[in-house]
Amino acid sequence: MTQYETAFLISPNLEEEAIEKVISQMAEVVKKKGKLINEDRWGKKRLAYPIQKFEEAFYVFFLYEADPTVPFELERRFKQTEAILRYLTIKKETKEKMRRKEKDVLDEEKGLPESEEILTEDEDIGGEKEEAAEKKEEAEEAEAAEKEEAGEKEEKVDEEASLPEEKEKEEE
Amino acid sequence: MAREQRSERSFSRRYFPPKRKVCRFCQRNVRDIDYKNVDILKRYILERGKISPRRVSGTCSYHQRRLSTAIKRARILALLPFLED
Repeated sequence: MTQYETAFLISPNLEEEAIEKVISQMAEVVKKKGKLINEDRWGKKRLAYPIQKFEEAFYVFFLYEADPTVPFELERRFKQTEAILRYLTIKKETKEKMRRKEKDVLDEEKGLPESEEILTEDEDIGGEKEEAAEKKEEAEEAEAAEKEEAGEKEEKVDEEASLPEEKEKEEE
Repeated sequence: MAREQRSERSFSRRYFPPKRKVCRFCQRNVRDIDYKNVDILKRYILERGKISPRRVSGTCSYHQRRLSTAIKRARILALLPFLED
């Protein structure tokens, strides 16, 4: 047994009784072979675009559990009924819980350190990583580089202070 | 040598990294994106009715996939426009 959700639009020029009749007919089709879990009616609602020159339609949603034959039967009926403007059947998913669990575990493992990384990256000292690599290669030069770096950092501050303004100007 | 590298770097620093966007669905731990929830879907379509790209909305790939199917379903039921002018 699979869970399906079928939505259909009934033409707005029908009277209340006629609409009621169509809905109950369709509900019976479902009930015969499956279990109707929920029936949702939105009533007359404006369409985002005209369908068969109608600007609004009556929205109905069925949520049910049944064999695959039922949605086929429903759709066959929909095609026969002229008052149905549109219909859509989807299968409700149940297996995706797997993915979520895996992901949650991963997130927990990463936890805080990840967020810290993000913070440092946001401050934009991407150059530091390269500098770290340099240090490994040439330890002596690195010391000199560090001194320079210290000087450079001051420059950076200046740059960073001035650049945002430039950026704002560009955006304007 | 070191000088050259440095100048290159400072040049590249002019391009500021964009603000890190976080997927709003992940933040709220949303599992399903329902096609009936038009209010939420509307935030992810552009003026002309197009689905907003990931680089704009910052949605993660998993939720972007969900989102696009939800929007397409909503379009079939005329809850959302295929195109708007």
